[in-house]
Amino acid sequence: MKNILAITKYTFREALSRKIFLVFFSVSTFILLLFLAFFLSTNIDSMIPMLQMQGADSNELVHKIIDSLKVLVVSPLFGVGLFLSIFSAASFIPAMLEKGNIEIILSKPISRSQIIWGKFWGGILIVLLNVAYLIFGLWILIGFKFGLWDVGLLYAIVIITYTFAVLYGLMILIGILTQSSLLAMMSTYLIFFILSPLLTARDKLEMLINNNIVNRVIDGLYYIFPKTSELASYTLNLTIGKNNLELQPILSSFLFLILTIYISIIIFNKKDY
Amino acid sequence: MYSIEISNLTKVYNKKKNEVRAINDLTLNISQGIIYGLLGPNGAGKTTLIKILLGIVHPTLGNAKVLGVDINDYSVRRKIGYLPENHKFPQFLTAEGVMKYFAELSGVEITNLDKEIDRLLDLVNMSKWKKTKIKKFSKGMMQRLGLAQALISNPDLIFLDEPTDGVDPIGRKEIRDLLVKLKNDGKTIFLNSHLLSEVELVSDRIAILNKGSLIKEGTVEEITASKQFYIIHLENELPNNIVQNNLKDFTIKKSDNDTNTYECHISDTVELNRLIDILRANNVVIRAVTPQKNTLEDMFISLINKSEQN
Repeated sequence: MKNILAITKYTFREALSRKIFLVFFSVSTFILLLFLAFFLSTNIDSMIPMLQMQGADSNELVHKIIDSLKVLVVSPLFGVGLFLSIFSAASFIPAMLEKGNIEIILSKPISRSQIIWGKFWGGILIVLLNVAYLIFGLWILIGFKFGLWDVGLLYAIVIITYTFAVLYGLMILIGILTQSSLLAMMSTYLIFFILSPLLTARDKLEMLINNNIVNRVIDGLYYIFPKTSELASYTLNLTIGKNNLELQPILSSFLFLILTIYISIIIFNKKDY
Repeated sequence: MYSIEISNLTKVYNKKKNEVRAINDLTLNISQGIIYGLLGPNGAGKTTLIKILLGIVHPTLGNAKVLGVDINDYSVRRKIGYLPENHKFPQFLTAEGVMKYFAELSGVEITNLDKEIDRLLDLVNMSKWKKTKIKKFSKGMMQRLGLAQALISNPDLIFLDEPTDGVDPIGRKEIRDLLVKLKNDGKTIFLNSHLLSEVELVSDRIAILNKGSLIKEGTVEEITASKQFYIIHLENELPNNIVQNNLKDFTIKKSDNDTNTYECHISDTVELNRLIDILRANNVVIRAVTPQKNTLEDMFISLINKSEQN
């Protein structure tokens, strides 16, 4: 455990040394300050009678405004935030495996699986803190402004970090196999931006293709690969208080994560450096 | 008790259908508290051997123990220090940060860690760079820091792969002195270097590897004295008929510098006395017989050439 903590700590520090996470942090601070300025300068209560005149319920209106504000932050955070996190974390494993560095790490009294787990938790920790900083900050601002302390928004922290963890598992595997940051990053983007949205819409695809074998392959791929698109929609829904969670996409993504980490450890254990 | 016990160790790399035997059935025992020099040409298997002993590379066959523990047990590495060739440390760290990082990975207790880091950085003359980011360091400074890093867990066994690479002559002398000091403290040092003269200066025992096989092992004296070389100074030039008729068994070569001086390779002192007897029996006047010691470099080249021919 001590060994894992040491690797986690230094992976976190390595991440901090990269400018991208500082940019992430700065942008989050800027967004929070924008919201603060908006909340301080706008009296939403004064807008409600105007909207009520158009026949809307005041309570419902406030909720709609708050939901829009939440979506305004969470939706780009899922896409852009994860894009930046993947970009930055893709080199964690290849950098560690660089000649001259990995030899010293492996010569220390630490097992190879502990190294992988340390790298894994270090990456997760930096993303968790960045996401939590923005979402929690927004939650506090909304809470103080509207007196609404709806924990739905906080679920976004968990799901966005979870989605990153699933994708990071793949990055670790590709990193171990190829020692290439570029390949790790590109293959993760491929799943995140292309494969997962396509496979989520597999019903429409299958109708278009109309071939039994191909459709079964598509079904198989759907269950194998992580369901980041579905996780994105869960994040948005939970943020606005709709609970339509299904276990299958979450569990199959978790299985994908476990499998990638497990294979990474096996390969890492067998490799010579 | 041995620090390192290697038994029938073999490592075969499969590269695009080609088999490369990096280590070939190597058996070797290394005692505690000595400086052990490992020599060999490029590709001899020196670094592979160190990496196998540290669990960085897996052996194909055979087994090995370090400090009495099987190499597969990673916990033994708590008492091992390692400085690899061309090492790279995390660039975002300072010299102190590097030391703390590897102290944590080595499982060093945090109590008095700062003092120990100060002591080690002082030992390698890096104290004033303690708070400097290592990306600003020269090759020599990185090497010194690497050496300090290898000592952070107060190891009993230290593997050093080209420790003086990129270090200036004064720095090399300091590192050599440090190695001797560490040996005197009871540490075992496994030294891998291309600089034969350097290995010769500090090593108690030496092994020469070629193509993964051990071709010679022993003390520096044993290795350099394995074939004795004498310069014989005569009063006059040696007559041809004596060379042809009486000295057929000996390898005698006239010196390029002096017509009355001869270079002679003789296996032992008995042979030397036989040669003197023959010369004296033929009324050759001997002015002096000077034993010449082979340098480690001479022996190294000769042994590698022989091994290549075989």
